[in-house]
Amino acid sequence: MDYEFIIDGALAEVYLDKKEEKFIISLGKKSFEADICWISENVISLLTGGRSYCFYLASDKKQTHININGHYFYIKEPSDETSDFAGGEQASEKDALFIKAPMPGKVIKIDVKEKQAVRKNQTLAVVEAMKMENEIKSSIEGQVKKINAAPGDLVDPDMVLIELEKQ
Amino acid sequence: MFKKILIANRGEIAVRVIKACQEMDITAVAVYSDADRSSLHVQTADEAVYVGAAPAGESYLNIDRIIQAGKDTGSEAIHPGYGFLAENAEFVQRCEQDNIVFIGPNSRAMKLVGDKIRSRQAMERAGIAIIPGMKSALKDISKYKSAAEKIGYPVMIKASAGGGGKGMRIVYKEADLKPALEAGKREAKAAFSNDSVYLEKYIEEPRHIEFQVLADNFGNTVHIFERECSIQRRHQKIVEESPSPALEPELREKMGAIAQKVINVTGYNNAGTVEFLLDKDKKFYFLEVNARLQVEHPVTELISGIDLVLQQIDIAAGQKLAFKQKELQQKGHAIECRIYAEDPQNNFLPSSGKVLFLKEPSGPGVRFDCGVYSGCDVPVYYDPILAKLIVWAENRDKACRRMLKALADCVVLGIKTNIEFLKDLIGHPMFKEGKTTTNFIQKNFPDWSPPEKPENLKELALTAAAFNSQKSSLKGGRYGTEPKEVYSPWNKLGKWTIGGGK
Repeated sequence: MDYEFIIDGALAEVYLDKKEEKFIISLGKKSFEADICWISENVISLLTGGRSYCFYLASDKKQTHININGHYFYIKEPSDETSDFAGGEQASEKDALFIKAPMPGKVIKIDVKEKQAVRKNQTLAVVEAMKMENEIKSSIEGQVKKINAAPGDLVDPDMVLIELEKQ
Repeated sequence: MFKKILIANRGEIAVRVIKACQEMDITAVAVYSDADRSSLHVQTADEAVYVGAAPAGESYLNIDRIIQAGKDTGSEAIHPGYGFLAENAEFVQRCEQDNIVFIGPNSRAMKLVGDKIRSRQAMERAGIAIIPGMKSALKDISKYKSAAEKIGYPVMIKASAGGGGKGMRIVYKEADLKPALEAGKREAKAAFSNDSVYLEKYIEEPRHIEFQVLADNFGNTVHIFERECSIQRRHQKIVEESPSPALEPELREKMGAIAQKVINVTGYNNAGTVEFLLDKDKKFYFLEVNARLQVEHPVTELISGIDLVLQQIDIAAGQKLAFKQKELQQKGHAIECRIYAEDPQNNFLPSSGKVLFLKEPSGPGVRFDCGVYSGCDVPVYYDPILAKLIVWAENRDKACRRMLKALADCVVLGIKTNIEFLKDLIGHPMFKEGKTTTNFIQKNFPDWSPPEKPENLKELALTAAAFNSQKSSLKGGRYGTEPKEVYSPWNKLGKWTIGGGK
């Protein structure tokens, strides 16, 4: 079977074939044989070339989290990624203009007004989570188009707090 | 001895104290908010009382509700843990009025050491060195300007009522003073319901060294040596160890004696911590007394063999200290790493959500004080500390190695943690050399990103993902996707009952 994943932002192809009790794994030009088995719902054991590896893994809606030897990997299915992929440059510009909360939390302060000009690195708002305040800064020079949040609001990372426009 | 103790806290520290109570055959009562119904401390306790909505002010910080929970359950004593009401003198007073023993210092001592300005004055009178700074908090924000000029920049803004880095700001120049004061006051208000702040001289490149003390109700005091807590980020400790690589025996003895003097001067009882700053020339200044069990108390427990929570309970129950200063010794080396729910790659922003999977590290000399479990939710309302990993070994080098291995063995999937950052930190050559000052992270990790991952591990991760994806096409199916009963020997037994056939 052929599988495609996105790891570290790049597309990777894995070919997995069962041969008797073992598996043949092909990645690009590389190919190796391994004995793989489930230990429990979140644990996989893999033996290859006389070496033993233990994987811990769990999936949420976005990705599969994998830990091997203390290293963390985040692997996505390509279909989930298409919109972000196509975005590229555009996506980062969108991020700069539509200011979102970096994490779920509470708005403490909005430092700007609508129509106000903002410098790069100017603090736009302060959001608090887990008792720490975090300043949200502008990554561009521009003007405040719209403010969608007020102090005291509980916000999610998907919410646009402030909309900016380039001058 | 007490028969029932209420633990007015949550997370790993509540679990830690509950277990200590249960060892002593004391019934442990947990309290919980809306966000914590399924939290570990509630599961661990013998009894649990709902105290209110998720925001701490409506539950864990609500004195009336906590006291009422104590009364309703017939608890004879309250252990406050750290944070929340642990250093709230009004709460201690209410306990005293309602005849519930507060497991911590008396309210007079708490008031004195909790008021950093008054305690500084008391230390000055007793001839104990303090850091130059303001004598009192001011109402008028504009007056701080002249105070800062008098002390000389850089200055540090500190919350009069607080600790744990909340409300603290370093200000290098006048232009930054006003916004920093405002932010500091807001944070202090949110954390301690008191927005009073003061300024003091900021000593650059110091070490943060604190002494653990115990004082019974009969005037007997001991210090249980130091903890070095210089590794901090945003004034929040991350790594603590004992012994400090910076102390020679004479200096340790001198600082320990001063720590005991501080306790005597303030009329303090129960467990406490005396914090000092040690400068480049090994001059030390009194900083403050932490009137509580510290997050990092396990470090002291591992090098001394003394269980501080059990000592706290014994002292509160009116027992005398069972040992003298000269009987205590510091054995081997202990290090603690705090596991936080935060994303070190993304400016250490807090990360909340579901812990999909947790594997706790274990082995000789490894201790894991944990407040979470596989499948639990980490709420946004409280401190981001998930667990503490503490190791003990014969010496510092072996303890560092043990910590690195234990960090690699600690797996948290689902939310971002600082575990990989901690691995880099403990493995840093400057840490190995013991060159730990409070600006260690700023200096050595100004912009952290995870180390390059070995290519073969990346390939294996992809293999695991593919293996995970093929699930049902595999002979026998993916563990958990088909009914598990298929593999269960119980299935083959047919109908049966426990104790049947008698």
